[in-house]
Amino acid sequence: MIEVRDLCKTYRVHQRPEGLAAALRSLVHRRYDEVHAVSDLCFRIADGERVGFLGPNGAGKTTTLKMLSGLLHPTRGTLAVDGFTPQRRDEAFLKRVTLVMGQKQQLLWDLPPVETFALNRAVYGIPRAEFDRTLTELTDLLQAGGLVGKPARQLSLGERMKCELIAALLHQPRVLFLDEPTIGLDVSMQATVRGFIRAYNERTGATVLLTSHYMEDVAALCPRVIVIDKGRLLYDGELRALVQRVRPFKRLSIRFAEPPAPEVLARVGEVLSLEGLAAQVRVRGTDVKDAVRDLLGTLAVADLTVEDPPLDEVMRDLFDGNTAARGAA
Amino acid sequence: MRPTRHVRVLQAQLRASVANAMQYRADFLLQGLLGLMWVGVSLIPLNVLYRDRQSIAGWTWPQALLVTGWFTALRAALEGAVSPSLTAVVEHVRRGTLDFVLLKPADSQFLVSTARFEPWKVLDLGASFVIMGWAFHQMGRAPAPLDLAAAALLGLVALIVLYSMWILVISLSFFIVRADNLSFLFSSLLDAARWPVQVFRGALRFLFTFIFPLALMTTYPAMAMMGTLDATTAGTALLVGFSFAAVARVVWLRALRNYTSASS
Repeated sequence: MIEVRDLCKTYRVHQRPEGLAAALRSLVHRRYDEVHAVSDLCFRIADGERVGFLGPNGAGKTTTLKMLSGLLHPTRGTLAVDGFTPQRRDEAFLKRVTLVMGQKQQLLWDLPPVETFALNRAVYGIPRAEFDRTLTELTDLLQAGGLVGKPARQLSLGERMKCELIAALLHQPRVLFLDEPTIGLDVSMQATVRGFIRAYNERTGATVLLTSHYMEDVAALCPRVIVIDKGRLLYDGELRALVQRVRPFKRLSIRFAEPPAPEVLARVGEVLSLEGLAAQVRVRGTDVKDAVRDLLGTLAVADLTVEDPPLDEVMRDLFDGNTAARGAA
Repeated sequence: MRPTRHVRVLQAQLRASVANAMQYRADFLLQGLLGLMWVGVSLIPLNVLYRDRQSIAGWTWPQALLVTGWFTALRAALEGAVSPSLTAVVEHVRRGTLDFVLLKPADSQFLVSTARFEPWKVLDLGASFVIMGWAFHQMGRAPAPLDLAAAALLGLVALIVLYSMWILVISLSFFIVRADNLSFLFSSLLDAARWPVQVFRGALRFLFTFIFPLALMTTYPAMAMMGTLDATTAGTALLVGFSFAAVARVVWLRALRNYTSASS
């Protein structure tokens, strides 16, 4: 469905030192630096997959999404999306994809979203009956029935994002590029959008490539993740395997019935915190079973939970490790 | 994109523009009245000039009035159907929302050119017809049907030239960020089109005939309407119009390629 080979994107950026003299000099003679936004990126995504596309700010995620949706021309390498070369921007290709950008909006600001929908119906040439059916389905899934008639400027951020999603999906695209679709939304609205994306994917079999800074989005939606940093591929595979590789530890949160002996806790694993009757202990994944047995056998445990490390921490470790490795090299 | 879809898109865009105008009813009325007032004010300098003269540069009062009528019509068409959409493009480029236009399976120039209309400019257009009618009334005759058709055709060419010049200005916004300032220069220059081009002498006459062809925009349609424009000039005007459109198209496509290969 999506095939990316040796993809590179280089920007020429005008560099100018501080000061008026430098400003005047730059009028005559300019120095340009080359910025490698994406370097030798390779991956494949199969039909119907939901893939998280992760990386810190400036990693090249949005640039890659824009190349995949035909908005940017790659400097080098090849791209294929559903059999099309995106930068040719064939009509048939544009009818099969959509790009949702959480930070930008396509809704007509002063008009109710239904007007944007009607415009998209005309642009995409969607037959009336099909349009009505899709619109009903999408508004039901998002519980947005009451919103589509209000002027867009009067909608809350979350309500607007619901309508943005409808506008972006009316033509029933086969490939969804979602760039931070939940940015700025409150927790419950994030959950609604997540649920919607999953339902759309399951119902239509569309392929989803999602970037997000909210790790909950990725954890809830994407069995597979592609991680890039400074334009280069860092990891491509199952999310669970990534967590195990980067943070091979589990976190035990324990509540005791009576104060525990610190030396027993230390024997089990690394004590992250111990306050009164509550403790957190970090244990290697392979040692969890023994640790739990030991704790239950020797201490008065009232409650115990085993947790994966938070994804945010996993990512931080991954990117820090990457920077350190580059520094060492 | 098939022609029928172009028509449907145009319908949808027009409908959205009318709906937009209706959202602000007071604005709608006020803009309409202000427009009409400006049309009235624009007649004052002409009236003052002709108070003590029979003709200026060979143009009598009703003939010059006819040029003003064409100027009013052209400005109504420009401000009603061309500039609102194209000014929005500069904003699109600045905010990065042009991406949404480029993602649509339709010609991008068509989409951006039809994005917004100012419906109340229809009142100005109506006023321009009244001025033209008044001019002919003072001449004591009516335009011949063939002259009327030629004038309409030249009016269309004038609009194409104006539109193409706007597209050229807008294409600049892909390279330089604040191209919207150029639009002020543009409308100031256009203001000179309220006078017959023969009024200007020397360098200005050259500028307004060949570089910024104001002659083609209002003087020639008015002359055609009176039956005083020769066929060669009319033919040249048509040629110039289509050349402008072709150049604008090429520049737009190049500018777009620059945008899609450079922005992030």
